[in-house]
Amino acid sequence: MTAKLAPEKFEHAATAEYEGILYALAFDESAHTAYAAGDDRALYAVDVGAAEPKLTKVAAHHDNYVSAIALRGEVVISAGYDGRILWTRAAGGEQLRDVAAHDGWIRDLTLLADDSQLASVGHDLCVRLWDAETGALLRVFEGHAATTPQGYVSAIYALAASPDGRYLASGDRVGEVRVWEIETGKLAATLASPAFYTYDASKRVRSIGGIRSLCFSPDGKQLAIAGIGQVTNVDGFVGPCRIELWDWAAGKRTFTGQDSHKAVLNHIAFDAGGEWLIAAGGGDSGGLLAFWDPSQEKPQHKAKPKGHIQRFHLDQSAGALYLAGHGGLQVWRTPPS
Amino acid sequence: MQSRTMPTRTSCRATEHDLHRRTFLRSAVAGTTAALTFGGLAVGRESPQAARLRAKQKQVLFIWLAGGASQFEMWDPKPGRPTGGPFRAIPTSVCGTHFGELMPKTAKIADRLAVVRSLNTQITAHAIAADLISTGRPKEAALEYPEIGVVLAKQLARRDAELPDYVSIFLSSEGHRRPAVGFLGGRHAPLHLRDSLRPSYIDPPAGLDTQRHTEREHLRQLVSSQFARGRAGAEMVDGYNAAFSRVRGLMRSDHLFDLDREPSAMRERYGDTQFGRNCLLARRMLEAGVPMVKVARGFWDSHHDNFESHRELVTDFDHVFTTLIRDLEDRGLLDSTLVVVFSEFGRTPKINKDVGRDHYAAAWSCALAGCGIRGGVVHGKTDADGVSVADGEVDAADFAATVYSAVGIDPEEHYYVGPRPVPLAREDSHPIKTVLS
Repeated sequence: MTAKLAPEKFEHAATAEYEGILYALAFDESAHTAYAAGDDRALYAVDVGAAEPKLTKVAAHHDNYVSAIALRGEVVISAGYDGRILWTRAAGGEQLRDVAAHDGWIRDLTLLADDSQLASVGHDLCVRLWDAETGALLRVFEGHAATTPQGYVSAIYALAASPDGRYLASGDRVGEVRVWEIETGKLAATLASPAFYTYDASKRVRSIGGIRSLCFSPDGKQLAIAGIGQVTNVDGFVGPCRIELWDWAAGKRTFTGQDSHKAVLNHIAFDAGGEWLIAAGGGDSGGLLAFWDPSQEKPQHKAKPKGHIQRFHLDQSAGALYLAGHGGLQVWRTPPS
Repeated sequence: MQSRTMPTRTSCRATEHDLHRRTFLRSAVAGTTAALTFGGLAVGRESPQAARLRAKQKQVLFIWLAGGASQFEMWDPKPGRPTGGPFRAIPTSVCGTHFGELMPKTAKIADRLAVVRSLNTQITAHAIAADLISTGRPKEAALEYPEIGVVLAKQLARRDAELPDYVSIFLSSEGHRRPAVGFLGGRHAPLHLRDSLRPSYIDPPAGLDTQRHTEREHLRQLVSSQFARGRAGAEMVDGYNAAFSRVRGLMRSDHLFDLDREPSAMRERYGDTQFGRNCLLARRMLEAGVPMVKVARGFWDSHHDNFESHRELVTDFDHVFTTLIRDLEDRGLLDSTLVVVFSEFGRTPKINKDVGRDHYAAAWSCALAGCGIRGGVVHGKTDADGVSVADGEVDAADFAATVYSAVGIDPEEHYYVGPRPVPLAREDSHPIKTVLS
């Protein structure tokens, strides 16, 4: 039975240190091993149960930053800014498959519910669906605008698959979410969340923001969105961290969470019971790990991890959170009761 | 006998340099009686060098990337290095020269460009660094130097021109700068466009039609000539007449500021971004004969999310800049127009925790094209991680000397401010010969 989440009890336990920024994270619960990758292009394994966890290099097959990874059995599937999706055997690091997947950076990757299919998004403004075993391209979903309203290049940053494996959601730079029906390829919903995109027309004449993370609720009815609210200085993440919750089928926003902590939230996830929304990121106010009860605007609990967090994994049964970002992989735990 | 000049302020309130007709007149008249000399000649008078330059009709365009553009994401990529970031290097039209992948169009015109990868200007505070690179020397308490663009405007100015000698376009507010006239005085203040692409205050007063405006001008000329006849001070009246002539010229040139007069295909070619519109106006100004034009594109200060911001900014720059260069070339203007792309500094090799790059002046880049420039050249190099200059180090004074030299101005020429000789570029500067044709 999964323990009830106690956000206020999480404490930093250890850090597996890394020189740069880790962008990608996946977790093998059976082996208590996290897989992480980032700007040095290599894939690492981390024994998160170790008293002093360390990053152990598994492979280095990408030619550029690794942005997302997913674990399919004993195979790590990774996507990178080199536009490739790679299949790598977790034990030994053998490269099993290499697919030129997108024209430009791949920003996110997710396995669908039964692990038979895989989806990816990138700077080429499309969602691609793959056979997770063979790497065959199954479908392409297109429709996100290539440019922002001001005429600059846009991108898709975030991707999520519904728990029932029927839908994919993709979020772009200007705050638009598109929900796609996987079987038909049809657009099921379009959600506009422009508060996640700031364009400064007078001071700096450029933009910042975008939808940086998406996740469906455990029942698949709600879609959570994370990023940063309106930014006062687009030179940085100088705006309130922000999440939204949508009844996506009805096209209705049901909750907005925003806090004065100035940060972009790069990752959002529900806890196992669907009671909490957990989000992490960083910015002008420093790193942030925030827990929202989606009945209140402000997060019920905030913690300040060291550094700017890009991804996390909640291992609820173990009462642990693994945070990947600047400086390495942090292990946070709740003390045994 | 040389006379002295009063120090001129360089810091101004927001509205002080807007082109108000009365302000313009006062400045212009003051300029004709300025107490500076250039190479032994009063600066208000013609120097032989200036006459030669005017005959050749050389022009200059500065593209000012305000806030500090990243050399790693543009001119000096370091792919695969810890400092390099995620953008690849791409080959250019010059064998062996690579630019950042965000500049595929610029890469195709690399043979027209000279890139300097070895600037070390040391200063990493925006305003001070901008002063340094804009004047070619550090600030002095005793003397306010004019910016390079102001000197160029003065030297390249055309006699009896109807348009200003210098048009500066800076429509965003962060890091906003008005080109400092320094000791050259208000006569050389540029027409500075900060709120829109059309100058303020050039419409006749409400209720004054063209005929009445012309009649007033005839009356003013009559009174002026009667006043000047047989009296000392005719030079001042000449100054007034010149200033009035400029204002009238500007009013008659109102159409130049109207981009709708460009064919729609040309507007589309530049693109519907602010930088695109600004550069299209710059080309119209150059084509109309304005000797010095500056376009500022802010704001590149990417302390967080550097790669996303440069993806937006450099992509826009790449398109607009190459369109502009090709347009100037198509119109036969590139050979006589020096184009300079620069910032106050570059950005750090280290990528910070917020995926940003901070200010860095120890090793950064600029680019030049057109008049006096040898295309397809890279001067200097940085070390493997772009941390320091490995070869061909140049500073702000060398940059200034290079710009002057490219348009045929001897950087060793000097003004006199009172008895003090002030060379155009600092005494110890050296033009970067590699990039000069």
